[in-house]
Amino acid sequence: MNGFQVVWENRDVFLWGAGNTVSLVLGCLLLSLPLGVLAAVVLTEAAAPLRRLLAELVDLLRCVPFLLLAYVVYYGLPELGLRLDSWWAGLVSLTVYTTAYLAEIFRSAFRAVAKDNIEAAQAFGLSRSLLYRRIILPQVAITAAPMIGNQIITTIRDSALLMIITVQELTFAANFVSANHFTPFAPFAAAVGLYLLLSFLVEAGVRRMERVRMVRYG
Amino acid sequence: MAETVPAIAVRGVCKDFGGFEVLRDIDLDIAPGTTTCILGPSGSGKSTLLRCLNWLDAPSAGSIRIDGEPIGRIGTDKAARPMDRRALAAARTRIGMVFQHFALWPHLTVLGNVTEAPVHVLGRPRREAEAEGRSILARVGLAEKADMYPHTLSGGQKQRVAISRALAMRPRVILFDEPTSALDPEMVGEVLGVIRELAREGLTMVIVTHEMSFARDVADTIVFMEGGCIREVATPHDFFTAPRTDRAKGFILRGSSTPEPPLKKA
Amino acid sequence: MTWPAIRTILDGAVVTAALAAVSILLSLPLGLLIALLRWRRVPVVAGLLATVVSVVRATPFVTLVLFVYFILPSAGLELDPVPAAILALTLNTAAFSSEIWRSALQSFPRDQREAALAFGLSEAGTFTRIVFPQIWRANLGPLVSEVTILLKCTPAVAVIGVVEITRAASRVGAETYEPLPPFLVATLIYTALIAAIVRGQRVLERRIARRFGAVSP
Repeated sequence: MNGFQVVWENRDVFLWGAGNTVSLVLGCLLLSLPLGVLAAVVLTEAAAPLRRLLAELVDLLRCVPFLLLAYVVYYGLPELGLRLDSWWAGLVSLTVYTTAYLAEIFRSAFRAVAKDNIEAAQAFGLSRSLLYRRIILPQVAITAAPMIGNQIITTIRDSALLMIITVQELTFAANFVSANHFTPFAPFAAAVGLYLLLSFLVEAGVRRMERVRMVRYG
Repeated sequence: MAETVPAIAVRGVCKDFGGFEVLRDIDLDIAPGTTTCILGPSGSGKSTLLRCLNWLDAPSAGSIRIDGEPIGRIGTDKAARPMDRRALAAARTRIGMVFQHFALWPHLTVLGNVTEAPVHVLGRPRREAEAEGRSILARVGLAEKADMYPHTLSGGQKQRVAISRALAMRPRVILFDEPTSALDPEMVGEVLGVIRELAREGLTMVIVTHEMSFARDVADTIVFMEGGCIREVATPHDFFTAPRTDRAKGFILRGSSTPEPPLKKA
Repeated sequence: MTWPAIRTILDGAVVTAALAAVSILLSLPLGLLIALLRWRRVPVVAGLLATVVSVVRATPFVTLVLFVYFILPSAGLELDPVPAAILALTLNTAAFSSEIWRSALQSFPRDQREAALAFGLSEAGTFTRIVFPQIWRANLGPLVSEVTILLKCTPAVAVIGVVEITRAASRVGAETYEPLPPFLVATLIYTALIAAIVRGQRVLERRIARRFGAVSP
C-alpha cells in the first residue's frame, strides 16, 4: 500500500517521535513516582493544616485540563527566565500532573494497608521511617501496581497532547508525515499501533506484579 | 528483705475514649519470671490495659514502668511530658507482643517476619538473626515453614510465627492479646502448648485470654477485671476455688467455652 | 487582560463545555450498549467491540481526533471540525465508560437477577427495573470521573481547528503578544468548572448513600 510505504520511508521520523514519547514518559515517572510517594506521606502524616493545604492543591491539580497546563508551563517557563526546549516544558507539565494523580493513588494505598500490620510494627519498635520503608511501601508497590499501571497508560496518552506545544513526539510525527504526504490512514494507524505496543508493555508489567502478588499474598 | 523490681509496674492508670471511661485507676505489679493471665467479661477493659503496657494506647492518666524504666511518659502527672518517638520505640523493643489476629507482615516470609525487627531495629547482623530465627521456629515446630509466605499457613501456624517473632527480640516481657480467640478450636491447642512451654522456661508473660482452664493451668497470677477496674488478684487456685467477689463468681460460673466476638475498639 | 479578551475566552469555554455536554449525552448510553452487547456475548459483534474498545483506550485522544478527522473523508464522510470533534469525543468516552458498565454488569449479584426471572420478569424488565437502577447509582463515582476526564480531554479538539477555549486563548495571546495571561485565565475558568462538577458529584454521592445506604454490591 502506498501509505505504508510512506511510513516505512519515514520510519526515522516515527522512531524519533516514539523515542521522545518514551523518554518523556520515563522521565516523568522517574520524577513523579518518588514525588508522589512523598506527597502521599505528607498527606498521611503531616500536621492537619499542612495536610489540608496539600490535599486542596492535589485536588485542584486533578481538575486542570492537561493541555492548558502544558500551555501555561510552555509560556510560563520563559517568564521565569528559563529558555528551554519544548521537550522540557512537556516534562515539567507531565510530571506536575502525574504527581498529583500518583499522590492520590498512593494515599489510598497507604490507607489500605492492614491496621494491625502497622500496630505490630509500632509494637516492635520500628521507627516511622522504617515503618514506611519496610512495611508500607513494599506492600503498596505490589497492591497498587494495577492503579499505577493505569496511570502510566494515562501519562502515555497525555504525552500526545504535547504535540500541540510543538513537542516532536509520536503523534506529532504521524501528523507531520500525514500532512506532507497526503496519506492520512497509514501514518496514524502506525502511531496507534505503536501506542498499542506501549500500552501492551505496561499491562504486561502489571500482570507480572499480579503474579508476584499471588505468590506473596495468595 | 530484698525488693525485686517488678517487670511491669502500673500506677493509677486511667483511660477514657471520648468521655467513656474504659480503665479506672489501675494499679498492678507484674513480677519477673511469672505468667499473669488477665480474665474478665467483654468490655472489662482487659485488652485496653494490655495495649497501654506498651503504649499502643496511651493512658489518660497514670504511669507505667518496665523493669523500673518509665514508658510513654516521663515524670509525674503534673510535670509529665510524653516520651519522644525514638525513646518510645526503644522502650518497645524490650516488650514483645502477640496480637489476636496475628498481624504478620504479608509481604515478608516467615523468617523475614521473625528477623525484621532484630535486624532493622536492634541492628543485629542478618546472618546471626536468621540463625537465631530458624532455631526459634524449630522450637515452635515450624522449621520447615521458614521460607514460606504467611498466607500459606493455617491460623495456628501463623500465631506460632507471631510468637517466634516476639521471642526473637529477646524481650523482658511478652504481652499476649487474646492469642487464641481468632483460631478454629482444633488449632487452639498447638498455640497454648507453645505458651505453656514458655511459661515453664520462666518467661515473664501477660496474657489476656478467655481460656479459663488454660489460665488455671499455666498462670502464676490471675487478674480479674470488670467494668474497667481490677476486681481480684489471686493465685489460680484461690481464684477458681474461692473467688471473693460476686462478679468473679458469676464470671467463673458462666464458663470459658463460649467464644466472645472480637471486641470493637471504642 | 481586557474585558473583550476575557469574553473571547469565556465564549471559548462555553463552546468546549457544550461539545462535552453533547458527547456525554451520546457516549454514556452508547457505552452502556457496548457493555450490554459484550456481556451477552453477542457473536462476532462482542469480539469486534472488544477489539475496538481496547484500541481506543490505548490511543491518546488527540491522535484519535486527528485519525477521525483525516480518515473519514476516505470513507466518504466529509465532516466539519465540530461534528468530527463530537464523534471523536463520543467514541473515546463510550469506550472508557463501557468498561465501567461492563464491570458493573459482571459484578452484579446473580441471585438478584435469578429472583427477578423467577418472579416472571422478562430479561428486559429485569434490566430496566432491577439491574440498571442499582448500577448507575453504585457507579456514579467512576462515571462522573469519566465525565470530568472527557471535559479535560475536550480542549484537544483545537488541533483540528474547532474554535474553543484553547484556540480562543491562543488568539488573544497572538493579538497581545502576551500568551501567558490568557492561558492562565483559561486554565482558571476551566478548572473552576471541573472542580464545581467534582464537588457536585460528592454531594450527590452522599445524598444517594443516605437514601439507599452504601450502594456498592
